[in-house]
Amino acid sequence: MMGSSEEKVVAVIMVGGPTKGTRFRPLSFNIPKPLFPLAGQPMVHHPISACKRIPNLAQIYLIGFYEEREFALFVSSISNELKVPVRYLKEEKPHGSAGGLYNFRDLIMEDSPSHIFLLNCDVCCSFPLPDMLEAHRRYGGMGTILVIKVPPESANQFGELVADPVTNELLHYTEKPETFVSDHINCGVYVFTPDVFAAIQGVSTQRKDRANLRRVSSFEALQLPNRSLPADFVRLDQDILSPLAGKKQLYTYETMDFWEQIKTPGMSLRCSALYLAQFRFTSPHILATGDGIKSATITGDVYIHPSAKVHPTAKIGPNVSISANARIGAGVRLVNCIILDDVEIKENAVVIHAIVGWKSMIGRWSRVQAEGDYNAKLGVTILGESVSVEDEVVVINSIVLPNKTLNLSVQEEIIL
Amino acid sequence: MKALILVGGFGTRLRPLTLSVPKPLVDFANKPMILHQIEALKAIGVTEVVLAINYQPEVMLNFLKDFEEKLGIRITCSQETEPLGTAGPLALARDKLADGSGEPFFVLNSDVISEYPLKEMIEFHKSHGGEASIMVTKVDEPSKYGVVVLEEATGQVERFVEKPKLFVGNKINAGIYLLNPSVLDRIELRPTSIEKEVFPKIAAEKMLYAMVLPGFWMDIGQPRDYITGLRLYLDSLRKKDASKLASGTHIVGNVLVHESAKIGEGCLIGPDVAIGPGCVVEAGVRLSRCTVMRGVRIKKHACISSSIIGWHSTVGQWARVENMTILGEDVHVCDEIYSNGGVVLPHKEIKSSILKPEIVM
Repeated sequence: MMGSSEEKVVAVIMVGGPTKGTRFRPLSFNIPKPLFPLAGQPMVHHPISACKRIPNLAQIYLIGFYEEREFALFVSSISNELKVPVRYLKEEKPHGSAGGLYNFRDLIMEDSPSHIFLLNCDVCCSFPLPDMLEAHRRYGGMGTILVIKVPPESANQFGELVADPVTNELLHYTEKPETFVSDHINCGVYVFTPDVFAAIQGVSTQRKDRANLRRVSSFEALQLPNRSLPADFVRLDQDILSPLAGKKQLYTYETMDFWEQIKTPGMSLRCSALYLAQFRFTSPHILATGDGIKSATITGDVYIHPSAKVHPTAKIGPNVSISANARIGAGVRLVNCIILDDVEIKENAVVIHAIVGWKSMIGRWSRVQAEGDYNAKLGVTILGESVSVEDEVVVINSIVLPNKTLNLSVQEEIIL
Repeated sequence: MKALILVGGFGTRLRPLTLSVPKPLVDFANKPMILHQIEALKAIGVTEVVLAINYQPEVMLNFLKDFEEKLGIRITCSQETEPLGTAGPLALARDKLADGSGEPFFVLNSDVISEYPLKEMIEFHKSHGGEASIMVTKVDEPSKYGVVVLEEATGQVERFVEKPKLFVGNKINAGIYLLNPSVLDRIELRPTSIEKEVFPKIAAEKMLYAMVLPGFWMDIGQPRDYITGLRLYLDSLRKKDASKLASGTHIVGNVLVHESAKIGEGCLIGPDVAIGPGCVVEAGVRLSRCTVMRGVRIKKHACISSSIIGWHSTVGQWARVENMTILGEDVHVCDEIYSNGGVVLPHKEIKSSILKPEIVM
């Protein structure tokens, strides 16, 4: 076995794209979802930082459908900050979750890595990547999947899987089953050896061959589940994980930490809180402190950007993240919220369970709040870019699109 | 002669349509809203139009390049860096409007559609010799607006009353002005309201006159009024130039169909419908009181009323779309779906019925 100092690792983070989902509206009108800040850092910063802990990490690739210019500044800045090469690759057409990886195999294999991590950007977790890599080496398979146990009722939103309790081998995998299969689910974080490319190519070839069969009756054609998928469209779950389960090629590694998927703005508030809580352990110096005398009263986990100004009589927290150049006035109360860049919150206003968009203004004694149900459509109040809430106005359980001024109180409304 | 069109801001009341294009470029009766005004200005000899904008200037400028050539009129933009209200933009565009000729210039509000009797307005302005002329229009519910109280015989404006609680008159500001260059001396370059600050001063000096707008008037800045406005516009078109309207056994009332649109067999279209360029209306479709924008496909047997279907959308077979349904750009309503007042943002697919008015993000 080669010494581990020779074995390089490459990480690939799938960041998705603008038409891949409208669920992150209205925030996605102003920023690509992967760059939306959680606990003060862009969403994709968290998995990238985690990758940095992998020994012998040679390169990180971000793969997505966004225009290159949308990631240019970020990629340059984070490469510099973390001293690791990060590059954004734009997929020209959809190839499926595995096909995308295959599409860029030449670049990925440029450093001759012995292992390749594949992560989904919209996953919020502790990313135990070095431990996962060690486990993968012990198992000796082609791939290892990060898994977590969830409440049985929610398992069917994800890929459910069954693993051997002794060997940790993946025995069975089903994507979003209708009936209960297992309460262990796929976290969307994987490590592979380079033979995964051969497996992906195998799927393409098989599909091409099937398409060439002449004597398929029209009835049979209706039954073939993949008849409408192009040969180079390969999905990781259905085309690789499911078929290879039980063949001693795929293994699982269980995480006992937190895990969430960041699909909606409401969930981004929840995940921001999870990362703030994680900072409490990994980098407590990032979090704010204050006792109300020289600086604002801070309770719980709070992040405040160095350029933000917070009046000493304000009370902030728990679970609050304040971005660059925000101004928080006297007597303001902020609870469980994300305050984005250049926001101005005037005296004695209250914000609870909300996201306040860039450049917005919250007037004096006004109240912006929600029930805080991260899964409900209007469970977290979202104010888009440049929204003005006038003095004493109340906004509850609502979503407000950019550039609106609210001079009357609203409840349970979407304001276009 | 010069003109200024107040285009202003974000057009949020016309969302989701204005999520795809700036408001002046939203099509009305198969033409960008602002083109109706620019054409009316060109027709009476205006040689330069200034657009006062503060949002998405690049998109506007691209559009203008095309139309400058086609129309043979100079179109420029005056961009506000902060919202300047309804008078401030005039100060900002001062140098473009006051060219030393002493000629009055027009100011139009971009949300308004009407018959634009601009020639009559020029004559009215000359005859009274005052400093400023405004068009007023008669409405049923004046308290929703700012009422202009005027002397019936001369049209001299006595005062403005904002949303009056008691009846003071039934004429409101129609958003069409003809101003002498001296008016520019009264406006500072800061956020200013022409109705609240500038006109009252001119009226006090007995130099402001109002002409009652003949024909229809509508502020089409929001979907409900847009649909009513189309009815009024097509009514007027029937009187002025009926040959532009569609005819045939499948047409009821006033219907405008672009020449590149295709309509299938067994359809019943109208009244008050506009069908844009490149649209395909398949067989057996019923359309009434609706606007179908460029590139839309309406599939067989569908039924649409009182709605706006945004660019490049599709409406599925047997779908029923009604009651102020507004589909943004690239929205696809699946077969057999019912939408009762759904307001759907761009790039969505509607796979289940919308039973009561709802915004789909």
